[in-house]
Amino acid sequence: MIIAEWKPLSELTAKLRGHKKILLVGCATCVAECAAGGEKEVETLAPLLRMALHKEGHPAEVVTRTLERQCEWEFVEELAPLIPQVDAVLSIACGIGIQAVAERYSEVPVYPGVNTTALAIREEPGLWLARCQACGDCGLGETFGICPVARCAKSLQNGPCGGTRKDGKCEVDENLECVWYQIVKRAEARGQLDKLLEFRPAKNWSNSLHGGPKRVLREDLRP
Amino acid sequence: MEPRTEMTREDLQSGFKPEIILLYCRRCVEEEADLFIAAKATSRFAAKLVMMPCTSKVEESHLLKLLAEGADGVQVVGCPYQQCQRLLGNLQAERRIEHARGYLREIGLGAERLGMERGLHFSGLQLLLLAEKRAHAVRPLGPNPMKGERIP
Repeated sequence: MIIAEWKPLSELTAKLRGHKKILLVGCATCVAECAAGGEKEVETLAPLLRMALHKEGHPAEVVTRTLERQCEWEFVEELAPLIPQVDAVLSIACGIGIQAVAERYSEVPVYPGVNTTALAIREEPGLWLARCQACGDCGLGETFGICPVARCAKSLQNGPCGGTRKDGKCEVDENLECVWYQIVKRAEARGQLDKLLEFRPAKNWSNSLHGGPKRVLREDLRP
Repeated sequence: MEPRTEMTREDLQSGFKPEIILLYCRRCVEEEADLFIAAKATSRFAAKLVMMPCTSKVEESHLLKLLAEGADGVQVVGCPYQQCQRLLGNLQAERRIEHARGYLREIGLGAERLGMERGLHFSGLQLLLLAEKRAHAVRPLGPNPMKGERIP
């Protein structure tokens, strides 16, 4: 899932000062799963914003709506009747959802209420860890299903650095497993340690963020 | 011990009578509890008692909405540790309350406006005393600025 975190309330109120009626929009998909932008969070943030803005001397009405998916135009359309009634929108969906709302309703200012953080998994209740960086050239088949791009502090492709601690933790963070230690352990458990010695062509980084905006085109699905 | 009904000189000067919402777990009160006691207005504070099926159902949004609507303080009353019918429900409620208190601190409204107490077999009068405890904590903060909110 895409994970996100609320921006500090002071940053939000600084953007919203002066607006009299604000639409706070959430998304019931990824950001709901990571407890940042679902209906529950929308209903928590709305009274907080009202109180914070009032306290700062800029009272405002906050209306709320949570879309099923803020990254799909069909769902974004549901906001159409509300937009003429508000003078600002605060979205707590991921960056994709925020941009979709800002594009469809360019007549009103749309502010981000969260920082979109990573593609992650819920490791345990209240803890999410990055698992993917959408690098565009997946090598999980060669690394026994563990991604060194997202999970190694240095995104190393060819084995651990010299900083792995004796207990198999990362030198950058003692709470973090050295991902290459994990890869080697899994290869060993499968009796395929030699697979790690196989030649691998250089990773194609041009598909990653360095290659400019990505696009996927499927002619068979186009109208 | 009954809630004090007389007003102090300080109360009289400020004219501030805190309005407290008390959310209590239905398992915390004795069967014969006189829950209409809150209707007996005291001169020092006003209390509204609201029963919940379990404190595990308390969400931050519920608490913050009550404050945004002008309540001066919210007191949650739950079962003692390890005696929640939802096992960890009251513990999780306590964490959510603490989390919400952090937000109140952050926006400068005062974390003391929100709190939690624990116990079993409370009488109506004892619940009222817990409301008074919150009223006492809230008094130095003054009235909730959201009272009578008007958007120009």
